[in-house]
Amino acid sequence: MDELKQHIIDYNKPVISISGLFKSFGDLHVLKGIDFTLFKGENVAVLGKSGTGKSVLIKIIVGLLKPDKGEVIVLGEHVDKLERKELDALRLRIGFSFQSSALYDSMNVYQNLAFPLIMNVKNLSKNDVDSAVEEVLEAVGLQDKANQLPSDLSGGQRKRIGIARTLILKPEIMLYDEPTSGLDPITSSEIIELINEVQQKYNTSSVIITHDLTCAKNTGNRSAILLDGKFLKVGTFEEVFESDDKQIRAFYNYNFIQ
Amino acid sequence: MNESPNRRAVIVGFFVLLGIIFFVAGILMVGNLHETFKNKMEVTALFDDVNGLQKGNNVWFSGVKIGTVSNLHFYGKSQVEVLIKIETKARQYIREDAMVKISSDGIIGNKILIIYGGTSAAREIQEGDTLGVEKTFSTEDMINTLQENNKNFLAITNDFKVISKGLVAGEGTIGKLLKDDAVYANINATTASLQLASAKAQELVASLATFSANLNKKGTLANELTTDTLVFKSVKATVFQLQQMADTATAFIANLKKAGTNPNSPIGILLRDETSGARMKETIKNLESSSQKLDEDLKAAQSSFLLKGYFKKQAKADAKAKEVQ
Amino acid sequence: MAIFTNRKYLFSKGIDQYFTGVQRAYSFVSLFFKEAFKRPFHLREVINQSFEVGLKSLPLITLTGFIVGVVFTKQSRPSLEDFGATSWLPSLIGIAIVRALGPLVTALICAGKVGSSIGAELGSMKVTEQIDAMEVSAINPFKYLVVTRVLATTITIPVLSLFCSFVGLFGSYVNVRSEEASSLISFYQSAFSTISFLDIFTSVTKATVYGFTIGIVGAYKGFNAIQGTRGVGKAANQAVVLSMFLIFLEELVIVQISNWIRYF
Repeated sequence: MDELKQHIIDYNKPVISISGLFKSFGDLHVLKGIDFTLFKGENVAVLGKSGTGKSVLIKIIVGLLKPDKGEVIVLGEHVDKLERKELDALRLRIGFSFQSSALYDSMNVYQNLAFPLIMNVKNLSKNDVDSAVEEVLEAVGLQDKANQLPSDLSGGQRKRIGIARTLILKPEIMLYDEPTSGLDPITSSEIIELINEVQQKYNTSSVIITHDLTCAKNTGNRSAILLDGKFLKVGTFEEVFESDDKQIRAFYNYNFIQ
Repeated sequence: MNESPNRRAVIVGFFVLLGIIFFVAGILMVGNLHETFKNKMEVTALFDDVNGLQKGNNVWFSGVKIGTVSNLHFYGKSQVEVLIKIETKARQYIREDAMVKISSDGIIGNKILIIYGGTSAAREIQEGDTLGVEKTFSTEDMINTLQENNKNFLAITNDFKVISKGLVAGEGTIGKLLKDDAVYANINATTASLQLASAKAQELVASLATFSANLNKKGTLANELTTDTLVFKSVKATVFQLQQMADTATAFIANLKKAGTNPNSPIGILLRDETSGARMKETIKNLESSSQKLDEDLKAAQSSFLLKGYFKKQAKADAKAKEVQ
Repeated sequence: MAIFTNRKYLFSKGIDQYFTGVQRAYSFVSLFFKEAFKRPFHLREVINQSFEVGLKSLPLITLTGFIVGVVFTKQSRPSLEDFGATSWLPSLIGIAIVRALGPLVTALICAGKVGSSIGAELGSMKVTEQIDAMEVSAINPFKYLVVTRVLATTITIPVLSLFCSFVGLFGSYVNVRSEEASSLISFYQSAFSTISFLDIFTSVTKATVYGFTIGIVGAYKGFNAIQGTRGVGKAANQAVVLSMFLIFLEELVIVQISNWIRYF
């Protein structure tokens, strides 16, 4: 796996920089002052307990939620200040893999994959679409599933198709929301492998939201621990978990003792 | 911090809802609103019987709606005082001596109050005036009178038919007739009453003519008839009687005429007698014209859609009877 | 102003939430009108949805329209018979069905059939993040999901309503035919002799408004479904209840307006 990570990470080129980010829902204050930078070509795993606002963070990055306060700059644009059209243009450069895969269940796999392409790129021939779909299906290793409905797929396969659907637009940034949740260890490791392959092949920078330490360890160039609406610690996996902090230890122990 | 957008949403929501409520309520009310804005004045009328007139019923003048019944209450022993709201615009057309009556509008229609008449010499009505009321006979009253008359008339004509037949029949009878003072006096009396009856019949027929004309008009008397099956039944009976009567009268007149051509018949003698002769002539004339009219009216009644079914049934029954024979 | 700014809620929590809901619905509807006239129009999807809406409801509407026609005729006959006016039956039924029953029956059935399915479909898409997925793929889900469906119901339900009226009249004819001899042509002729252009126009307008209501309510409830499977069921259920309620309210308002036009 280590060979795979050999591609260039450019620490002079931040693709996402967040500073002083606050977000609350009613009385519930989820994010309380986040500062975070993602560099080009880098994978960062964001760890944290459920309900700590990990998903909220990437939803703010992609503009699904608006921050209450703070600056979110993605690929040089202030996400919260963009017009719809500009935001859409930015979103084309970001891939978002949902926790529940979020495949359109009224469409088959082929249509699911072709849909964002057809909707966003004008004047595509049928052949162009076919070859694009074939390419991403190959990338996720599910060439034979093109005509199946999402309901016929297993959880892992759905995750793959979900990732393939984002890849079809050739994103520069990938955001994974719990890519391994609800999967057995073997399928999980397949997905982890896929995430790394995607990083290599498509030269993406990624934020991987997870509570699975295996996933964080194997995909993240850096790891960050989100606790009480703030990043408790950011650094390589080893740096983070060599810490003596009680809460980090508790998190670590829970994951590995089980 | 995030309170303010929420607060704004609440306020916007509040006003949107308020707007919708006003819009819907406005639309539902405006139908009656333009009436509310019209200037109104109030006059009264005293009725013995308001025939089910209700608050809110329309008031017509020359067929135009000019107001509504604003209230009714008992007055004195058994009278009903009706308060009428009239648009001031219509005021100049309604004179102090105008009358009111109760009628109804459309098939199964509501009761309406009709203001009619009035002479331009009289002054315009004023706020609080009391308008005169015409006693209107209800349809039932009218039909009852009609029926009573018919019965009488039928009895008389029947009598006379018998007598006149006798006149035609033989000389023996004539001698007997002429010798018998009592019988002669009787004939005379009968003729007199026949004359009376026929005059009455003509009157009755005249009223029947308007009645049957109305029958063919939608939205007049016919409505009341259709709403009341009892009345309808009695109309049927009346018409039947009239028909019988017409038949009898025709037969009678034919007899009389036949008798008149025979110089030896007592009718000649009757005719020679100045007073009774003149009476007799008049009677015959009356009878003739009234029976003719009766025929016409019956035809009119027959063509009226209300009684169509009844006549058809009768025709069928007749046809069946003939077949049996 | 200090009193206002210090208070946490303008009225109370519940009332504030209610008005916020009204505001949300209001901005949802106004967003529809903003987006409906902007490119891209997703015409193919509108046509797809129209077929979906139309075909889904067609058998039920045919059956119901027919039965309404038969039953209404059966029920009206005795009262007209009292006046010997059974020949007015076609006109009476014509007016009743074209003016009122056709659009109303269609709307109520579609509220149950189409409104709930839109609510459930969008609700489950919302709950399973499919709407978010569309959003992040730079596809405007409001345009692609809401506008197309609302347009589909707005276009299709008037057509269904006219169809329902015709079937209803046919049902009425079947009943008339069983009682007295009358040809279909003469039946339709006397049924339509009393119906004016205004009646048809009002009928179609009504159905259009109902169609819009069914679509927008279903979409609104689905789009704002709360998390979980209960949210989906609730969205479908509320879509039906609210759109039926609104349909009756609109019926009241439209009849009032059409009567002004008729008598002025």
